[in-house]
Amino acid sequence: MTRLGLASGAVLVLAALLALGGPLVWSISPEATNPAQSLLGSSAPHPLGTDELGRDVLSRLLHGSRVTLLVGVAAMLAAIGIGVVVGGIAGFNGGLVDALLMRFTDAMLAIPAFFFILVVITVLGPGLATLILVIGALSWMPVARVVYGETLRWKAAEFVVAAESLGVPAPRLLARHILPQAIPALVVSATLGVAFAILTESALSYLGLGVQAPLPSWGNMLQRAQQYVFTAPALALYPGLAITVVVLAFNFLGDGLRDALDPRRRR
Amino acid sequence: MIVFASALTFFFVNLAPGGPASVMRFDVTAEQREALIKRMGLDRPVEQRYAEWLAGAVRGDLGTSLLTDETVVQRIGERLPNTLTLAGTALLLSVVLGIPIGLIQALRRGTPVDHLLSLFSAIGLSVPVFWLGIVLILLFAVSLHVLPSAGVTSVASDTLVDRLTHLVLPATVLATTVLPTIVRFMRSATIEVLHEDYIRTAASKGLAPRAVVSGHALRNALIPVVSAVGALVPRLLGGTVVTEAVFSWPGMGRLALEAAQGRDYPLITGLTVVVAAIAVLASLIVDLAYTRIDPRIRLA
Amino acid sequence: MHASPLRLAALGLAAALAMSACAGTTAPGTSTAPSATPAATAANAPVTGGTVTIPIGADPTLNMWSPNAFVESLFINRVLFDGLTRPGKDLAPAPDLAESWTTAADGLSWTFKLRSGVKWSDGKAFSADDVAFTFNDVVLKPDLGAQNRASYAAVKSVTVVDPATVRFDLTRKFAALPSFLAYNAGILPKHILSADPLKTVSFNKGTPVSTGPFKVEKYASGQSVALVRNESYFGPKPYLDRVVFTVVADPNTQIAQALSGDITIMILDNKAAVDRVKSASGLVVASRPLVQYYWLALNQTDARFTDVRVRQAFVHAIDRQAIIKSVELGYGSIANSPITPALAAYYDPSLASKYPYDPAKAKELLTQAGWTPGPDGVLQKNGQPFKFTMDVGQRGVLEPVNALIQQDLKKVGVVVDLNTMEWNSYIQKDVVRREYTATVNWWTYPSDPDVFPYYHSSAAGKGFNIPGYQDPKLDDLLVQGQSASDLESRKAVYKQLQAYTSETLPYLFLWYPQEIDVLSSSLKGVPELGLRDAMHYIGEWWLSKK
Repeated sequence: MTRLGLASGAVLVLAALLALGGPLVWSISPEATNPAQSLLGSSAPHPLGTDELGRDVLSRLLHGSRVTLLVGVAAMLAAIGIGVVVGGIAGFNGGLVDALLMRFTDAMLAIPAFFFILVVITVLGPGLATLILVIGALSWMPVARVVYGETLRWKAAEFVVAAESLGVPAPRLLARHILPQAIPALVVSATLGVAFAILTESALSYLGLGVQAPLPSWGNMLQRAQQYVFTAPALALYPGLAITVVVLAFNFLGDGLRDALDPRRRR
Repeated sequence: MIVFASALTFFFVNLAPGGPASVMRFDVTAEQREALIKRMGLDRPVEQRYAEWLAGAVRGDLGTSLLTDETVVQRIGERLPNTLTLAGTALLLSVVLGIPIGLIQALRRGTPVDHLLSLFSAIGLSVPVFWLGIVLILLFAVSLHVLPSAGVTSVASDTLVDRLTHLVLPATVLATTVLPTIVRFMRSATIEVLHEDYIRTAASKGLAPRAVVSGHALRNALIPVVSAVGALVPRLLGGTVVTEAVFSWPGMGRLALEAAQGRDYPLITGLTVVVAAIAVLASLIVDLAYTRIDPRIRLA
Repeated sequence: MHASPLRLAALGLAAALAMSACAGTTAPGTSTAPSATPAATAANAPVTGGTVTIPIGADPTLNMWSPNAFVESLFINRVLFDGLTRPGKDLAPAPDLAESWTTAADGLSWTFKLRSGVKWSDGKAFSADDVAFTFNDVVLKPDLGAQNRASYAAVKSVTVVDPATVRFDLTRKFAALPSFLAYNAGILPKHILSADPLKTVSFNKGTPVSTGPFKVEKYASGQSVALVRNESYFGPKPYLDRVVFTVVADPNTQIAQALSGDITIMILDNKAAVDRVKSASGLVVASRPLVQYYWLALNQTDARFTDVRVRQAFVHAIDRQAIIKSVELGYGSIANSPITPALAAYYDPSLASKYPYDPAKAKELLTQAGWTPGPDGVLQKNGQPFKFTMDVGQRGVLEPVNALIQQDLKKVGVVVDLNTMEWNSYIQKDVVRREYTATVNWWTYPSDPDVFPYYHSSAAGKGFNIPGYQDPKLDDLLVQGQSASDLESRKAVYKQLQAYTSETLPYLFLWYPQEIDVLSSSLKGVPELGLRDAMHYIGEWWLSKK
């Protein structure tokens, strides 16, 4: 594992700690407006300043991290869930099921995700659950591909064949014996999946379709800050920086894991 | 597959709460609303409307836009060239820059150059597109006045040079969504190839490293990259939505946004069909290119 | 800049006085000369030539009666199409295609004498037939769904008296008709549109035939609509050569374009950027009056809100000045009635200081209405906590405003949950289905105090009376205002109306916003009106060389 990968891992652990524990330690409410104190720079009570309604930026950033990371992780889990099922079943069964499922996967891959997300969210209305489901529903395809490949690879392994001959039923075979082999590859997909989900959430928030006010998320903080890009550019700086750093970290972590876990690359 | 996409979109969109924007206005009375809905034929059942649409679509008629009364084909036709120009340029940029950068990174693997370029790549992939867009506009258009801030062309002087300057910023921003991936693919593909036995054999036979690299390695490294490019086209098209919004670029991405917000059902369905078709076409082209480059694969 | 409510009220009063001093009170029926020639001194005489660029948010529909003509179409349609009247520089209706107008003794008809010698941009002569066509065959036809139809509910039909005279026959008295005809009510050419008035694409999205000072030269979808001087315009020759409306969807990009000189004049929707724009050289920032007010509607079908003390308590609890300062950057004034300061002839400034921000008074009123604080500080009555949800439409300043109101109400023990919705869905829920408890929005209306459609009990439920407030006394005042025939009696009625509505609060009045316009310092001749109204005078705009 590269040092960069380790460093990224550390950054993410820190981010998780801040997200979970930060709001408990920093007790200013993210929704407490105070218009008289809007758009202030850093000060003792407000280390990162205040936003356009006088709300504390640090508090919103911390609460927002919870939301953003929640959306990111949950969407990724949804994507992995769907992807594992599709890829695993296709790889395991082969034949018509394989062909159908993988054709379907290819078809979904060909559809530009963003267009679809746009339409779906407009239909279902924005909301946290919708957001997670939709992002997950449109990013499972690479996971399915990976799982498919891994399933094919391990299907013929000796220990699997042995288990099969011992009468282990197929679903159990898939779940207990084959899929666990895919975990390293899945972990890599997972980290990249979170990165994608976070970026998608922020893009959707820019268009007004992401996490809704007054719930803060880094994406919608950026969107509101956009109005103030001429007067208080720092407002856009913090959430933008946060997104970039976290996404970067996930990307590096994924790369690092991939390098570490792929036997062919051990140089 | 396209039919599937269209059906999905059509039914889904018609389930949407709200209605066409001309109906959903604050200053419209209840009876006006009813009159409008009748005129648009929206009081008929969804299945009937989809059947009619499909029948028309097969003949090439994608219906009439609810918000402007022009045909969907007309509206998409106005915007399609702009999006293709933008996406095409971004893709070109990514490929022209990405392949050499990936190559350099592979050859200088492990050196500070490699790490630095990786860092830039990663940043490019991680920065929210619209943020980058606004920052670039502020920098180049407002502060430095060297590039225009929006649109396809200046109204006053519609020349080729003018159009090109308008293209620079949006294409660059859009390219950041795929350039890093191309770089990464090229890098890892080249590294793989460089370690292949036959390359080592060629090197041991005394072929200069340069020749080895350009001749064999490059050709083989390009294979996965080409297929990667094909897979990236959908992402590129998706990225146009936000990029076009920021730069007021009159393309299909913006049209999709307006259509979704205005519940222009025929237009949304038509757009999805067209976009999916483009993506499918792109992957077909890539498959063809793939077979040309890889000497081991031949179409049966 | 810390303006107390009192100071702002004084400013508002001064402004109102200043405006009423300039106001030419045109009683209905008097004829005034066609558009005044712009002031020209030797030092800055108007110069012919030049192009003005104005940004709009999306492709316009060049037909103001089409249901698809949204806010982006407003500007350009006001330039292209003339109505019978246009907003005067004092906002009272001024002649446009009509030279004069009178109302019958029984008030049930208005007769307009049309200007002679007006030509359409294709050379054909304009006549009374076009007016009759526009109203009888387009506006008044229910199944066409023309926009703004509701404003003409009182019009039975339009009769051609002779080629230069039309008569509007009414079902009831409608004193405001000339004002309404100045508001997005252009006349359409019968000889072009009689086949398909509202859906002719080559017209709506191409090159329409029009009477205005500029006509369409080229329509480039998604990019721009270029207008060129109409040489056969009936008024004085316009100074500008061309007017170009560029499609710039993103408000920040619009500002960037203004800063880099690519845009000549625009409305600054994002008021937060005003300081940045002010500091730029070559740009002028001006604040303009608007006929608009923001309100909070409490659904009157909800028993909690029918007690006027609760409504008054809410107004005391909301720090409206802070909202104006924060969201409008101070460009606005507190509202306590539906008549805006821009309607200088009618506005009653004495109400401006009503309902000062006073959470203690709010709590007191709520206690009187039977609400007492529960153990957690939340008010309750009969065991029910005072909690409700407000739907928030995603548009303009509504999101931050609702956040501020939520916090203000929390301080007096009322708990509000915010449900943010995409605009289209919000309209369907809150307006079409009227399924809401409380919501914040605004009204903009023609420059006339006739607010009947928004307040009359007949408009509750499916009409524009959003809160569904029904009060016979208010109804009476509204009808009186419509029937009053001269300015003085109208003024008296509307003064009463203002006093009454500020007491009874059918809507909770929040504030009157002002508009901020940003223009290039080389652009002259633009009247001091909101940009939408100023568009009617685009023939008088000119660009100085420096």
